[in-house]
Amino acid sequence: MEKITKDKIECGLEVLKRLQDSKLISHLNSCVHCGLCADSCLYYLATGDERMIPAGKVDMVSAIYRRYCTITGKVFPALVGARELDDTNIREMVDLLYGACTMCGRCVKHCSIGVDIEYVIRTGREMLAKMGYVPESLQATVDAALTSGNNMAIPDEDFLDTIEWMEEELQDELNDPTATIPINQPGKNILYTLNPREPKFFPLSISAMAKIFYAAKESWTLSTGMYDVTNYAYFSSHPGHSRIIAQRMYDELQKMQAKKLVLAECGHGARANRWEGPNYIGREFPETVTSVELIAGYIKSGRIRPDRELNREVVTLHDPCNLVRSGGIVKEQRYILKNTVKNFVEMTPHGMDNFCCGGGGGQLAMSEYNDRRIKIAGIKAEQIKKTGAAIVATPCHNCVDQLSQINVTYRLNVQIKTMAEIVADSLIIEHP
Amino acid sequence: MSTIEIEGKTIEVGGDGFLIEPDIWDKELARLIAKYDGIEELNEKHWAIINIIRDNYEKKGMAPMIRVICKETGLKLREIYQLFPLGPARGACRVAGLPKPDGCV
Ligand code: SF4
Ligand code: SF4
Repeated sequence: MEKITKDKIECGLEVLKRLQDSKLISHLNSCVHCGLCADSCLYYLATGDERMIPAGKVDMVSAIYRRYCTITGKVFPALVGARELDDTNIREMVDLLYGACTMCGRCVKHCSIGVDIEYVIRTGREMLAKMGYVPESLQATVDAALTSGNNMAIPDEDFLDTIEWMEEELQDELNDPTATIPINQPGKNILYTLNPREPKFFPLSISAMAKIFYAAKESWTLSTGMYDVTNYAYFSSHPGHSRIIAQRMYDELQKMQAKKLVLAECGHGARANRWEGPNYIGREFPETVTSVELIAGYIKSGRIRPDRELNREVVTLHDPCNLVRSGGIVKEQRYILKNTVKNFVEMTPHGMDNFCCGGGGGQLAMSEYNDRRIKIAGIKAEQIKKTGAAIVATPCHNCVDQLSQINVTYRLNVQIKTMAEIVADSLIIEHP
Repeated sequence: MSTIEIEGKTIEVGGDGFLIEPDIWDKELARLIAKYDGIEELNEKHWAIINIIRDNYEKKGMAPMIRVICKETGLKLREIYQLFPLGPARGACRVAGLPKPDGCV
């Protein structure tokens, strides 16, 4: 780790000082140390390590605030438990705020007085990002997006080649040589996005979604200019970087003159574009919906007619934290499953109180904390086992990756699928 | 930094289990990493995939698209997922000795 300098300290403190932000100040000051949040956090539950209690993470940031932004803290730091922004404390902040938080927000729901713990943690990350202390592997993913336009640095020709391939697969499956995966076509109703891991390694969800669009007779397109639904700078919490990425999406939507933006299955992508996007770029996004809401709408209005008999295995659902807790999207994924699978079982707890898969908050990209990520996922593994399901569906590619890994590590013997794959499997396409 | 212990040998890897030094990779290391993941024996199909990945990495400095792996090996997508239960990235690319790809993998 690079040594702290005076300039760096100034950069970090700017974040706290700029914040004549009354929200932040009250959340920094209001924890009453009741300890209720401890059992909500999978890091504490899985490790029993008291350093991992959410309130302690909040205190990391508020102790710095007290030291530099309050009079008593400046004069009698020890009296108010104030902390210096020195190398030791920064190392601890990096370890806890980046390395021991999936930004799942579960603690926020459990806090007795409603401290927005996750917001404070994000502010702490923002300070670290400004000082240049983002963990290397997370920064590499942000940099790939900034320099290449997508977080896996996929060249355009490789992307196009893959889309063409999926189009052929779709035509075969539908037995219709006119079925297409439209690309770079302006003036469509929908601009659809992808998680780069789809074209790179897991393209079945692309053809699945294309099949759904085909069945719904939708007017849609992908675009080479910007298709990446992710914004890893939301995790690194560097405001400049997250703004650049969000702005790109906004600009592409203008360029393609699409009526609405549809976000692929990606929890943080939904949050970073739909809910944080307008804050990042300082203006409203045109109509933006998640694919889960879109598909639920297709079923409700009868635009697609799924047959539950086609999905007979027991299916359970993993709720991505960013969709349920910060987005309030809880009913749509259930409505879809109830209409597309024969046997749907819930895990306990689920919905708003669901446990994170362990891969959120940028953890999947951060090799530094791999062992922890796998360990905390033991809670999710137990939840899945108890359902007895053969398939775990989840509307988030990031969760899919984490769940696929724990499927092997914890020998769960299940299949992990996106919602699009489940829905596509339940569709019979009738040719006139 | 972390290590993988298998058959009495110790392999130095990054936090995510990917080789830190892709240049020290050889077939024996591939066999050991695969075994560690529960793949008892690498068959011809496994090797076809590994060789394509390795070749692409040496020429272009990154993992190939799954499209390229399918095209060059003639294997079906689902077959690749079955051969490497951890997937093309955490499974196949790791056995092929590549550094961890960026992104949600
Ligand atoms: S946001 Fe989630 S992981 Fe982070 S401290 Fe709260 S409960 Fe723990
Ligand atoms: S539940 Fe809220 S008030 Fe209680 S210790 Fe945790 S953060 Fe503080």
